[in-house]
Amino acid sequence: MILYRRKSKKEEFMKVSLRNEPYLIINIFFAGVIMLIIAYSGIFSPEKDNYPVICIHEKLTGIPCFSCGLSHSFSLIVRGEIKEAYEWNIYGMRVFLFFVSQLILRFAFSLFYIRYADTRKHLIITDSVGSGIIFFIAFWPFICSIAKGIF
Amino acid sequence: MEDVKNNAGQNLGIAALITGIITFVLAVIPCVGLIAIIPGIIAIVLASVGLSQAAKSNSPRGVLIAGLIIAVLASIISLSQVFVAGNFINKADKWPGEIQNIINDVQENVLKDIEDANISIKVESNGDKVEITTGSNKQEMEDKLEDLEGGNTQANDTLQKKE
Repeated sequence: MILYRRKSKKEEFMKVSLRNEPYLIINIFFAGVIMLIIAYSGIFSPEKDNYPVICIHEKLTGIPCFSCGLSHSFSLIVRGEIKEAYEWNIYGMRVFLFFVSQLILRFAFSLFYIRYADTRKHLIITDSVGSGIIFFIAFWPFICSIAKGIF
Repeated sequence: MEDVKNNAGQNLGIAALITGIITFVLAVIPCVGLIAIIPGIIAIVLASVGLSQAAKSNSPRGVLIAGLIIAVLASIISLSQVFVAGNFINKADKWPGEIQNIINDVQENVLKDIEDANISIKVESNGDKVEITTGSNKQEMEDKLEDLEGGNTQANDTLQKKE
């Protein structure tokens, strides 16, 4: 038998258990991953050129791909050198903005999720659709390159 | 009495969903797209195991199904990068021949331009000026040299005629 009891907003806020809220776990995890990406961009510098990620596409074909120079671009954006960042990879800024927007959205949606328990289902749908659209806008050139490669 | 939710497979579902979304983002980036197949397979395995656990204990499967769908889609995109790279290699195979043709064309054009060009050499010594104007054609240069030397002086020529 399931018993429901109306709780005050404050009580609900306090009693949100992470274990029973997969949405919050996912949000926290992604926020952590994005912060790691930003930290990676900050730690590895374009001057030293000590990036551990190697382009598999370039290794296989010998030709640089659309995403080559993305790490350099991120590092330069973090350091405020926007013009140079565009020179390394023209799509670097839009991908970086995607990650930054996702970081903000993870915190914002988590807060809304805890505060407004009645609208959780709508919130998850809005988040999924919105993030999907932002993803497609940010990664559209890469998606197009895949489509061109196949067809 | 409070009903305790049966969460069998839920943790696996969360892990599969997280791995699936990360795979999806990686799969779209050409540089690391091929590597994304590894987390993609891991996500599919996690979601499948979670689904089997959830089926046994009749627990919710929403997260698990979402994780499985995203992981499968991401793996397909990652696999498609193989075709993209293959297509690129096929195109790249034709490039050396095309580049060689371009080099040959440029070489021919440059040689033709040199052959058509007129060369003018001015020598000035103790007030005497000598100006030699000739084409860059080898035969023309030899003839000019003969003229300047005034007769048959082939023995002293630096230009050797081909046999």
